[in-house]
Amino acid sequence: MMTRKRPDWAGWADWVRERDDPRIAHTRPEALDDITVLDLSYKSFAGCYCSSLLAEFGAEVLRIEPPEGDFIRTCTPYGTLYKGEGLNYLTEGRNKFHITLDLKKPEGREILKGLVGEADVLIETYRLGVMDDWGIGYEQLKGINPRLIFASITAHGQFGPMSKHKMPDYDNIAQARSGFQYDTGERLPDGKSYDECPWAVPTKSGPWIAWVASGTFMAVGILAALHWREITGEGQALDVATAEAYARIDDYAPLWYDQEGHINERFGNLDTALWLYCFAPTKDGAVFLGGLRLEMWQAFADMMGKWDEWGAANWTTLAPFMKEEEQLKWAALVFEETRKYTTEELVSMSIEYAKHGRLAPITCVVAPVSSPEETMKDANWLDRGIFTPVFDPVYGEVVVAQAQHKMTETPIRTRWVCRPVGYDNEHIYLKYTGFGPSKLKELREQGII
Amino acid sequence: MAKETWENYKERKHFKPSPLKGVRVLEVCTMLLGPLGPALLGEMGAEVIKCEIPPLGDTTRSLNPFGWFFKDQSSLFLHINPNKYWVGLDLHQPEAQKVFYELAAKSDIIEENLRPGVMERWNVGYRQIKEINPSIIYLSKNGYGQWGQYAEENRPSNDGASQALSGYSWVSRFPSQTPLKMRAYIGDNYGALNAEVAVLAALHYRERTGKGQYIEFSQTENMMRTMSWVWPYQQITGKGAQPAGNRDVSICPADTFRCIDDTFVAIAAPAPDEFRGLRTAMGKPELAEDPRFKDHLSRLKEENATQILKIIADWARTKTPDEIETLAEKYCFAASRLFNAKDVVENEHFRERGFMTEIDDPIYGQYRDHEFPVMMSKTPPKNKWAVRPVGFDNEYVMKRILGKSDSEIRELYSCGALGKWTEVQGRRPPPGWDGKAGLIMTRDRL
Repeated sequence: MMTRKRPDWAGWADWVRERDDPRIAHTRPEALDDITVLDLSYKSFAGCYCSSLLAEFGAEVLRIEPPEGDFIRTCTPYGTLYKGEGLNYLTEGRNKFHITLDLKKPEGREILKGLVGEADVLIETYRLGVMDDWGIGYEQLKGINPRLIFASITAHGQFGPMSKHKMPDYDNIAQARSGFQYDTGERLPDGKSYDECPWAVPTKSGPWIAWVASGTFMAVGILAALHWREITGEGQALDVATAEAYARIDDYAPLWYDQEGHINERFGNLDTALWLYCFAPTKDGAVFLGGLRLEMWQAFADMMGKWDEWGAANWTTLAPFMKEEEQLKWAALVFEETRKYTTEELVSMSIEYAKHGRLAPITCVVAPVSSPEETMKDANWLDRGIFTPVFDPVYGEVVVAQAQHKMTETPIRTRWVCRPVGYDNEHIYLKYTGFGPSKLKELREQGII
Repeated sequence: MAKETWENYKERKHFKPSPLKGVRVLEVCTMLLGPLGPALLGEMGAEVIKCEIPPLGDTTRSLNPFGWFFKDQSSLFLHINPNKYWVGLDLHQPEAQKVFYELAAKSDIIEENLRPGVMERWNVGYRQIKEINPSIIYLSKNGYGQWGQYAEENRPSNDGASQALSGYSWVSRFPSQTPLKMRAYIGDNYGALNAEVAVLAALHYRERTGKGQYIEFSQTENMMRTMSWVWPYQQITGKGAQPAGNRDVSICPADTFRCIDDTFVAIAAPAPDEFRGLRTAMGKPELAEDPRFKDHLSRLKEENATQILKIIADWARTKTPDEIETLAEKYCFAASRLFNAKDVVENEHFRERGFMTEIDDPIYGQYRDHEFPVMMSKTPPKNKWAVRPVGFDNEYVMKRILGKSDSEIRELYSCGALGKWTEVQGRRPPPGWDGKAGLIMTRDRL
């Protein structure tokens, strides 16, 4: 990497890196280190993800679990545990203090009320009415702390006809309700049935993206509410329904139906709204091709040596390529060409084209379709600190994705990845309530913590 | 009680303040990753000024599903750009850069998503702007960040590249098939969302200290952040993460099943009470005794998961999604049919909550769109107005914010610093525009 030719803006790159390289993050201040968050979320990765984002920016997050621990800890791929911990939870316990508290017991709720007096934000994911019935809903807690921001993430939200439904909030259900799963996936080949092609069905995202979206939207809402609280001194209640949060990521499909009555359908690895924009097969895998401006599509044709044969010089607009039949026709031609090269060859051809091609610096985006194994070994991402292992006092060296926000003043950081259930009871109860070892022993014996 | 907090939320939201009132955002963004972030701030009440290079502006104005445009405008562009003011400013020109400085001096946040180094070449990079406004929060978003091999190779990027390079698509498909590009522009739109977490955290820090800062954001890295178990799994087991179709490998049972009418239903019932409910709904209480399915960690094991999912699939094949949803509600597990665009737009619950909201725009008329999906009891975010032609609000911004005179504005037009739309689809006003609707400053001028 030292030998590569650097761009004319290398000075800028160096200036930024000197200030935001994750390797120096620990020397910098933190944006949210004046904020205390109570995360009561239960059976919800959305809640955990939300509080992780705040904890990455330095908020003091008290993760409050029932004495037996949160069920979400058992949600781990193939049942895999590492040092007793589920792998999803292992990534989203980051930077949080883990305490136990039985909210089903009145004594537990009294302790919670004490913590609320010192908190800025409370995150909860219980079914509608549970917190109210326990006497710790927003209307009750705001009497204790009018500055409290009370954030609820659920399947259906805090109001509306379905809010009283009992349905728990799971990622795959929210993906189904968002509208995205329906029109993502491969098309059933002509004349084939689902029995013959069980993969040609509506397909969800592998990762928990609906939960991630709702947790992130809630983090944004919480930060906006904090800003408003700076001005007015007032807290408030926030409500996110997971399916809505993920649905907001959509673009054209709702308006297309609203105006034209058109229901968007699956289009495999092509894109209903963009050309050239698809995954294409190569000799040894696949690449993403992105040439969604006319000049980029022309550059692709040129790069593949098809400038004359395809008549690229005469193309004046992308409009003719946008129609469904045209996309299918052209995709077949494009794939025939991409199959002649390896993934690496195509990527290099695009980078070279940007330097010397007829339309340079315009070029087509060509990116390898990587497996996560390849991604995790990619020198570019390792250099940028995404997979730098965290040295956790309990779990040892653990790789989680981190440092996705790079900032010159208040960079994020991952100090530790996770904690066992109730690991921080001693420290946190001493700090916030003044309970020493003998009182904690008593509470533990009563099953309150 | 929740009822008290949320009563008549949808009706009352127009009579309540917005949380980011008083925050001004300058945007030099294109495509989806760029513009959605400022729009989200705009929905929460920030004043967003979108600068485009006239006369063609943002490329997204051209994007369309299978050739369909909404009143001559891109439906993608419209959806991700609500609540903005529109300036046509040719940042190649020194006079335009000077206007940008004047705006930057009065702004809190700047967002851009051009290639690294471009803003600096135009003299409006962070290093130049912080001389004018040291407390500015300046966000750059793109595929690979501002430094490192890929960035320095000047590789172009976009949503699909981020899905591909992160490994996200690789794990989102059926095992026998090739990696699947998600229909959702997750890299762009989720990227835009998560970048705002940093912007708002920086705003909080600025309120405490007066200090601004520079933020760089790679949408590809952000996709990796969403993939949770994948990374420690690979590190710990030494094996690559594998795709599993619609099955959730971390939750069991959780999958999508084919019903009697060849439509599909998603089901999840992992917790003990939920799995009990599902067993009862299926009329298979004997599964409670089965050691393979006795607890969640046992069910998640590959061999056991395959078997329980097969049992559920055979049952679901005899039911309609409607029947299964009803049983789910009765027995307290989770199930949903797959919503299509019609279901989302017409859903009574979404409408009653105001999530599927109706916009009443002076230029584009009435249409349905998503509301900001965080309902805030005291400061409800609001999706208020649609997009505008390139440079549509030039006069408003120059006069209202910069206090420029008519002759100064004329000067800026004549040197080409300011500009407006040209007669191209997506750039010009919709057909039938009366020459006045939506204009703030100059609508009564001949």
